[in-house]
Amino acid sequence: MKDLLASLAGWGVNVAIALTALRTNLMRSILTTLGVMIGVFSVILAVAVGNGAQVSVSQQIATLGSNMAIVVPQPDSGSGPPRPNDRGRLTERDGQAILREVSGVSAVAPQIRSSVQIVTPGRSATTQATGATPEYGVVSNVTASEGRFLTQSDVGSAARVAVIGETVANKLFPETSPVGETIRINRVPFTVIGLLESKGSNLGNDNDDQIVVPITTLRQRLLTTATQGPDDVTLIFVGFEDEDALLAGQKEIERLLRDRYRVAKGKINPFTVRTTTEIAETTGEVTQIFQAVLVAIASISLLVGGIGIMNIMLVSVTERTREIGLRMALGAKRSDIRNQFLVEAAVLCVIGGAIGLSLAILAASIFERVAEFPAPIGFDTAIMAVAFSAIIGLVFGGYPAIRASRLSPIEALRSE
Amino acid sequence: MATPLLETHDLVKDYAIGGEIVHAVNNVSLSISRGEFVAIMGASGSGKSTFMNMIGCLDVPTSGTLLLDGIDTKLLDSDALAEIRNRKIGFVFQQFNLLARTSALDNVAVPLIYAGIGYAERRQRAQHKLEAMGLANRLQNTPAKLSGGQQQRVAIARALVTDPLMLLADEPTGALDTQTSLDIMGIFQKLNDDGITVVLVTHEPDIAEFAARRIVFRDGQVIEDAAVKSRRKASAA
Repeated sequence: MKDLLASLAGWGVNVAIALTALRTNLMRSILTTLGVMIGVFSVILAVAVGNGAQVSVSQQIATLGSNMAIVVPQPDSGSGPPRPNDRGRLTERDGQAILREVSGVSAVAPQIRSSVQIVTPGRSATTQATGATPEYGVVSNVTASEGRFLTQSDVGSAARVAVIGETVANKLFPETSPVGETIRINRVPFTVIGLLESKGSNLGNDNDDQIVVPITTLRQRLLTTATQGPDDVTLIFVGFEDEDALLAGQKEIERLLRDRYRVAKGKINPFTVRTTTEIAETTGEVTQIFQAVLVAIASISLLVGGIGIMNIMLVSVTERTREIGLRMALGAKRSDIRNQFLVEAAVLCVIGGAIGLSLAILAASIFERVAEFPAPIGFDTAIMAVAFSAIIGLVFGGYPAIRASRLSPIEALRSE
Repeated sequence: MATPLLETHDLVKDYAIGGEIVHAVNNVSLSISRGEFVAIMGASGSGKSTFMNMIGCLDVPTSGTLLLDGIDTKLLDSDALAEIRNRKIGFVFQQFNLLARTSALDNVAVPLIYAGIGYAERRQRAQHKLEAMGLANRLQNTPAKLSGGQQQRVAIARALVTDPLMLLADEPTGALDTQTSLDIMGIFQKLNDDGITVVLVTHEPDIAEFAARRIVFRDGQVIEDAAVKSRRKASAA
């Protein structure tokens, strides 16, 4: 315990010496610190933005719903861009077949999506309309926060009713509740029966900028382009009971649809079945790569900052050779001299790191407010930043410090 | 007084300059006892400074033996030599060598840092030594605010702060005027009277007369080693 206190006191002395030395060349110290500061700032911000992307992506995936497969009438083009020419077909009957024949399916939600124009007296909005069934609410966790969601009878009677998202509601009815009001969608009058529960926005994509109408109504009243068949859909959400059922079900859906569309062996599927698990994995990978690239680029500036530290420490050792000789004459061991310069470099870096961290926290909060993009800087990131800058100091200050400690006392004393 | 404080046997220091080997110190054997006041004299290049650096453990001999307080310094590593410089030797330099922008008190306390003494005791001991040097009201002054004589007294306080066996002073009056030099020599004489061994390197014969014994170097060898006949007393001057 006494030894520990003594060694702590020894480091304290070194910190005091370092601060005096750094004050002596204040301008130089500030400029050197600036390098580390910018480096730590950019690394921390890169980590924060990367974290934010991950948070955002997982939020988005959560809003999709869990244990769900998404079937789209579009061939799986692998990693390349989708090829619109060989667009396949998908019908409500396919959905019923999936519900009937694939095991573990809890609900099937066929949808037609179309861009629509909505008008109320004095206001208008363009948004995406999803023609859906009540199952859509179940599968993708959509409920009405006010009023009600679609019912089977709305679909059966092709009722002109709509459940609208918050963004749309705010555009059309900035002051009053939209429920019960009449709106014109592509000139057709509809009654607003509910307000969709807000799902917020992520990665600049507003989840509340949409409306939901019965699939039958959308097909009969709102579609502007003809479809290939009477019950064609844009996509089908297939809800599964659990994750295991989802994994097995993905293959079963593919097999069933290949059968139904008589796809010959070896030909690619004219449709794609994606699961929420897959989407989470691939987007997770993408954001991780995104984060790694950001951090790698930012690390270059930290490296440059570290080289700056090394440079200035070498200058400092040369300038203070006589002081080093004197300290050795007065009884400083090599390790004392080495530690003195190591601490000096570490103090420079930690000060730079702390300022860089503070600026990064500030920048992240501005970023969050202005770009509505989360950039969380956790306690662990903060600790990492300060530890990282101290390590930079030790690594880049190491060589100059060891060089100082290797000086011969008499030659150091003789230097001018 | 069985073992002398300092003993050298055939001490040699060679330097290679331009491919030629120069014997800066050439087979010097002598001994200095506790309580002596020795002046080492010689022209520049005579080897007196090199000799002094070796006995101060700042430089290592090429060959020969150096016993300090009975310890053979050849057997010591750089850490042990640092400890000897810290505990047993106090250095006083011509140019004072005080740390700039550092108070007199902190300057004097530096050797105690390396002795592992805690903050409060460091300050207390440093203050005590500075008061003994008549600098009680200059504790917080930086070297820039002190005269040459005051700076050298701070340096002496620093040399004494670890209570060493021996003071090694290299031209301590070289940067001072006559009266201040006299004051400084008075301090050395008083310290010597109190029992500290003082070894002084100088090229000024009248400064050497304050010592009790004079060793003269020429071409790396001792050419004269005798008691000073008419010793000057600073207090009488």
